[in-house]
Amino acid sequence: MITLQSSDKDVFEIEQSILIQSGTIKNMVEDDFTFIPLPSVDTETLIKIIEYMKKHADKTDSKEKNIKEFDKDFMKKTLNELFALVFAANYLHISSLLELLYPSIADRIKDKITEAIRQIFSIRCDFTPEEERRIIMDNKWAHEGTEIEGTLD
Amino acid sequence: MFFTIFWISGDDAFYHGGVVYPSPKESNLFVSLGHHMDVYFPPCKRSRITAPFIFTEKQKKLPSIDVLPDECLFEVLRRLSDGKERSACACVSKRWLMLLSSIRGDETLVSDPSPILETEERSIKNAPVKPLDCTKKGEVVAPNGVEVDEAEAQDIKGEGHLSRCLDGKKATDVRLAAIAVGTASHGGLGKLSIRGSNPTCGVTDTGLKAIARGCPSLRALSLWNVSSVSDEGLSEIAQGCHLLEKLDLCHCPAITDESLMAIAKSCPNLTYLTVESCSKIGNGSLQAVGRLCPKLKFVSLKNCPLIGDQGIASLFSSAGHVLTKVKLHALNISDISLAVIGHYGIAVTDIALIGLQNINERGFWVMGNGQGLQKLRSLAITACHGVTDVGLEALGKGCPNLKLFCLRKCTVLSDNGLVAFAKSSGALESLQLEECHRITQAGFFGVLLNCGTMLKALSLVNCFGVKELAYRFPPVLPCNSLQSLSIRNCPGVGNATLAIVGRLCPKLTHLELSGLLGVTDEGLFPLVQNCEAGLVKLNLSGCANVTDRSVSALTELHGGSLEFLNVDGCRYVTDATLFAISNNCWFLSELDISKCGITDSGIASLASAAQLNLRILSLSGCSLLSDKSVPFLQKLGQTLMGLNIQHCNGVSSNSVDLLLEQLWRCDILS
Repeated sequence: MITLQSSDKDVFEIEQSILIQSGTIKNMVEDDFTFIPLPSVDTETLIKIIEYMKKHADKTDSKEKNIKEFDKDFMKKTLNELFALVFAANYLHISSLLELLYPSIADRIKDKITEAIRQIFSIRCDFTPEEERRIIMDNKWAHEGTEIEGTLD
Repeated sequence: MFFTIFWISGDDAFYHGGVVYPSPKESNLFVSLGHHMDVYFPPCKRSRITAPFIFTEKQKKLPSIDVLPDECLFEVLRRLSDGKERSACACVSKRWLMLLSSIRGDETLVSDPSPILETEERSIKNAPVKPLDCTKKGEVVAPNGVEVDEAEAQDIKGEGHLSRCLDGKKATDVRLAAIAVGTASHGGLGKLSIRGSNPTCGVTDTGLKAIARGCPSLRALSLWNVSSVSDEGLSEIAQGCHLLEKLDLCHCPAITDESLMAIAKSCPNLTYLTVESCSKIGNGSLQAVGRLCPKLKFVSLKNCPLIGDQGIASLFSSAGHVLTKVKLHALNISDISLAVIGHYGIAVTDIALIGLQNINERGFWVMGNGQGLQKLRSLAITACHGVTDVGLEALGKGCPNLKLFCLRKCTVLSDNGLVAFAKSSGALESLQLEECHRITQAGFFGVLLNCGTMLKALSLVNCFGVKELAYRFPPVLPCNSLQSLSIRNCPGVGNATLAIVGRLCPKLTHLELSGLLGVTDEGLFPLVQNCEAGLVKLNLSGCANVTDRSVSALTELHGGSLEFLNVDGCRYVTDATLFAISNNCWFLSELDISKCGITDSGIASLASAAQLNLRILSLSGCSLLSDKSVPFLQKLGQTLMGLNIQHCNGVSSNSVDLLLEQLWRCDILS
């Protein structure tokens, strides 16, 4: 059994066989660590990650369909939760989870116009007005239907 | 039930990152939120956040997408396969743009519709891809909106229809990234020109890498004055743009042979190569390009100190059978290079040699004797003191198909050499001499007497050695082939020369005598009288001493053929000439009477000529004209395409405005 400690100082004891899905943890286990602090993963996210790994640890044929169902439901989270998961899964090197997360996030970006993307993700536009105008012109078709002023030169 | 927004609980430090403006549109301000719903409070600079924040006992900072490390955001963006999606993301922020532009074409993951979310299957329509309109260099093509919609679900494979030109301040990495992302789905970038980028935030390797990854259809790349672009960027272009045909590098001090060799290896279609003032490019590049580019046709090299004989020699020995046009300007090459060119340049049709200081007589002699330049049609030599009589004669003999020869600033060549050249180059059609001050009248006439039967055009510009000689010219056979003669700014040329020209060249149709103050009616009239063939184009600009007498007479003699007449600066040309033109000239289409002594009645007589269809008229500096000429100009304006009335001080601005309004089809300079 390996002990994981979240950034909030909560501890979890999990079987080694489940945790080796995480490349990072696997390496530490091979170096004979049994207590692994994870200062960049908070409790909530860690709980979800453990849930995922538990489900995926048991990969037999009969459970294949269950796993797919689970994955589908697992991705029904808020964006912030997904980001926290990406952060953690990236740090922990859980590639199968990342392979799920990336398309899901990408899907939330598809079909959105730029301004919507900025609002959803709370991103500040750091182009100068001039740069922005030119970039929009170069990528015009993404803004079909919005007013674009002026010409490119 | 309302929440108070600013509410600190417990001992948690309140991290105040800045002012937050809760958006009035956010309805969940007033909705009870679960205790586990935390909201991210961004650091200071991101003050545009619209989400509300509420403190709970455990205040946590949850990441938003902007704190995802680059590699994660990259992976997300990689999953966007559709051009429209990527374009929308490109405009989000600089970070997103730069990450998007660093995705290679083959790194995009065309995702199966995600099984996780319930989205509709993307239906790939099999609409045929319509090629988008091609464009002039420097203009942007806006895609036809309708066509784009139809092909929305299918990325238009880049066929390289688009051109972009970035100048000065506009040349930045951000712009290049935007172009790379934007053009990929619009038809592909074909030509890219970057001119003189801003030293502080201009184009660097990053921008060029974005282009390399996003624009595999790039065919022509032109980089001028980009001091921050190094081998790294250009090598990426080599890796990514295998269809490159034209490469133009000017003032790129950081680029070395390394990247040019990479281009040579990876771009087999390279056809045009221009390298100017690139201090680190040398022989290695030429060797590679010569060996590895089977389609290389045009090479222009200027002011690259590292290029020497070895480079030229290896270039020609490998590619001499395909190279057709070569220009070598201000290079440290010697006679050896010319020898190699003379031997190996079997496909070369055009050569230009400019400012080659280290080449001597022997170089040109060997080039002529190399027997390789059988296809050479055009040769231009400027400022090479190695051009001597012996060398030029050898060239004349060794290039049997030479049609056009242009010699500038060669002060060593004498009359003998010129005449020997004229004798030996039987196919010569056009000869131009400029600033060859050792050439005298004897050389000039010697050419006319000894040239082959093909010589059609002769031009003398700024040749101070051609002076009137006081001897009788013996009777000789005329040169019946010469159609075009141009003598400009040779101050020694006067009436006596023209008299001889008249006897020697009866078949002239194009005559230009420009800036010759020594020419008066006495010399001009017999000359034009002797032109049996009928002059078509006559330019007497700057021959200030020519008067109505000869000019009117020549309109009578050549009215049936004259199409173009220029007497700019001939102040003794007056209304009488215009009257003569209106009577005699049938086909005159361009007339330049700038600074002539003409008045309104002259314009009136022009306007009254029913048979005249003037297309271009220049009256610049005719200060004797007044508003009275305006109605006549209007009449002429019916056929005019261009009218120059600059500095006509007697014409009021009201009249000018009237003309501008009425003659809307005509291009008016005023």
